[in-house]
Amino acid sequence: MDNQHPKYLGRVLLKSAAIVGVASALFGAVPTLAGTYDLTIGETIINVSGTEQTALGINGMVPGPTLRFKEGEDLVINVTNTLDEDTSIHWHGLILPFTEDGVPGISFDGIKPGATHTYRFPAQQNGTYWFHSHSGLQEQSGVYGSIVIEPEGREPFRYDRDYVVVLSDWHDTKPEKILANLKKQSDYYNYNQRTLMTFFDDVSEKGFGAALSDRADWGEMRMTPTDVADISGYTFLVNGKNPEQNWTGLFKPGERVRLRFINAAAMTYFDVRIPGLQMTVVQADGNNVQPVKVDEFRIAVAETYDVIVRPTDEQAYTIVAEPMARTGMARATLAPREGMEAAVPEGRERPLLTMADMGHGGMEGMDHSQMQGMAEPTKDTGQMPGMDHSQMPGATQPAMDQEQMPGMDHSNMSQMDRVAMGGAAGMRQDPFYAPGSGLMPTAANGGKFLSYADLKAQKPLYEDREPTREIEIRLTGNMERYFWSMNDKKYSEAEPIRLKYGERVRFKFVNETMMSHPMHLHGMWTILDNGNGKFNPTKHTVSIAPGTTVLAEVEVDAPGQWAFHCHLMYHMASGMFRMVIVEGGPQTTAVN
Amino acid sequence: MRTKISKTLLAAAATVALYVPGAAFAAGSHEGGHGHAGAMAFGEPGQLSEAGRTIEIVMGDNYFESEKLVILAGETVRFVVKNEGEFLHEFNLGTTATHAEHQKEMMTMMEHGMLTATGVDKGMMKMDHGSTGMSGHVHDDPNSILVEPGKTLELVWKFAEATDLEFACNVPGHYDAGMMGEIEFAAPGTAGS
Repeated sequence: MDNQHPKYLGRVLLKSAAIVGVASALFGAVPTLAGTYDLTIGETIINVSGTEQTALGINGMVPGPTLRFKEGEDLVINVTNTLDEDTSIHWHGLILPFTEDGVPGISFDGIKPGATHTYRFPAQQNGTYWFHSHSGLQEQSGVYGSIVIEPEGREPFRYDRDYVVVLSDWHDTKPEKILANLKKQSDYYNYNQRTLMTFFDDVSEKGFGAALSDRADWGEMRMTPTDVADISGYTFLVNGKNPEQNWTGLFKPGERVRLRFINAAAMTYFDVRIPGLQMTVVQADGNNVQPVKVDEFRIAVAETYDVIVRPTDEQAYTIVAEPMARTGMARATLAPREGMEAAVPEGRERPLLTMADMGHGGMEGMDHSQMQGMAEPTKDTGQMPGMDHSQMPGATQPAMDQEQMPGMDHSNMSQMDRVAMGGAAGMRQDPFYAPGSGLMPTAANGGKFLSYADLKAQKPLYEDREPTREIEIRLTGNMERYFWSMNDKKYSEAEPIRLKYGERVRFKFVNETMMSHPMHLHGMWTILDNGNGKFNPTKHTVSIAPGTTVLAEVEVDAPGQWAFHCHLMYHMASGMFRMVIVEGGPQTTAVN
Repeated sequence: MRTKISKTLLAAAATVALYVPGAAFAAGSHEGGHGHAGAMAFGEPGQLSEAGRTIEIVMGDNYFESEKLVILAGETVRFVVKNEGEFLHEFNLGTTATHAEHQKEMMTMMEHGMLTATGVDKGMMKMDHGSTGMSGHVHDDPNSILVEPGKTLELVWKFAEATDLEFACNVPGHYDAGMMGEIEFAAPGTAGS
């Protein structure tokens, strides 16, 4: 027993609670804290893109069911595989013995076709989490669902009803095909790539030398300024419904509604807002945070945010979740009655990466010129005659006509000024984006946009202490050859990261790529160093924006071997992944 | 402990705290039109000798244990407010609108370091915050007390006519997380004592 690690205290307490539970079950006095859940993974037909498609569902649904557990409950979860390939379920964010973590090749062998695997572990935490397949690219095809764990004690907020809001991205193209396409041609899905004509515009804006040097830099990075997301053609879903199908949550005016946002997308960050309502963020990644009222927040892939809203009027409100790259919209509704709906706002302009996102933001005089030069909206680019079909939701084979039509850029001129000015005004530097970054979010209504810096733990899980060791993790990759790596090594080339039980490791994430990477360590909490000292928030997924360095600490309190990876599915699949081995500590065996 | 408050403890707390109601009441109305007069539309600071009863308010993180108060119009009540949480909390009597206004002020005080999540920086609170636009905005509203973790403070309030009132904690985020409750005005003779 180590008092420094409340988790272990929790574990011991749970064990005795379970024994009491069994004993009381025998005498029939108190209900035991144990539950059995059955999940079946299999093919299922969905239609979210206009045509029926074969998805992989859980219990016939995409997303799968919401699993509602109680803190302290001993869980028995049977997962049956009806596919003709291996599958698995990983319990994202749950603290459990590594053998129950569900990562084939690291925690277990996977679930063979036709087999049923039983997971057993105690629910030793509370909050909003999710689960998904950790086999191949199955998650992209629909193998994900939500978890709600009710707390034992009183929560530091109240609400009258709650809804799980699962955001996800669907593509009619099979994920294996998408990955193959990306490997063949990394900008395959980048419909808005900057081209020769925009280069000439840059020349007129900045002069030939500056523009040329920009181009050379981009080339060296093997990236392009429109690489906010690597894949287009997605349909964005809320609880499995597309914008027209409009998932609706009901409320009575005056009620407090808790919305449990989960980003179960394979590749998409969302900017979430509810025009007409402010949201009070009360939980992030399953851990309560000191409440903070915002107008909009960005949710990285695999993160969760719980917010409370209190609509007082007898009217409908639209939940808007725009992908960070503005390639569409996920939409849902809160309404007093079924069928009511509110206006759906226009999609906002697409952001462009700047030199700051390449890690050049520190150069003098760079930022302003870059803001001007790069703030040109490209949204119209794709609307040129002959390209419209590629912009339709669900389009699988984009027509990548890179030849520019003369004259198209002139139509952007007026918008360019507006966007450049709008971007400069009211921009408050968020320390979690590179200065001058094209990705730094602003709220649609000009109000408060949640920053990582706003997240403060409501009740810190760990005592604050100095880390005992620092490990640098450079996030690296080659966009044109489409592989992603850590410290320039793909998973297949890398040794595991070895940690010692009881140490507190500081990970220094240095993002050397031009994409954001949501880094997820299994089995142990990640304490984000966001300058709030003992109130630094505890998360399971930490997003690192391009051109930034983020520090996060881990109390190494879970023996065994664990996955550690970027949660963008195609980044994980192409090598941005490590095994972490925790040496020493108490012996763990499967709870059988 | 919940029902019996030591007199010495209260006296000590009242001496230390700048922001107990008495001082502000004596000071009368502020300049600046923020409505922080001693007397407000819904009541005014009361005399302890006139308080017909004591209502105990227990605060946790981030909630009031009781989410509703029943009051008689014209009644003077002694509130004994105990913070059992680990964060700073406020007990404020007002309308939805006055609470909303006060939340903005408290957000500013938080941003300027006069308040932290866990307490009051008394040095910062006394400083002249003229340059920050906070001049005259020390937390001295007569209808409110700030209670640091583990502390107990008192507020004596004479309610006016029945109106729509709420008690609330306006520490940023707390009201919206649900740390507020309604005040119901009962017909005379029906309120508990």
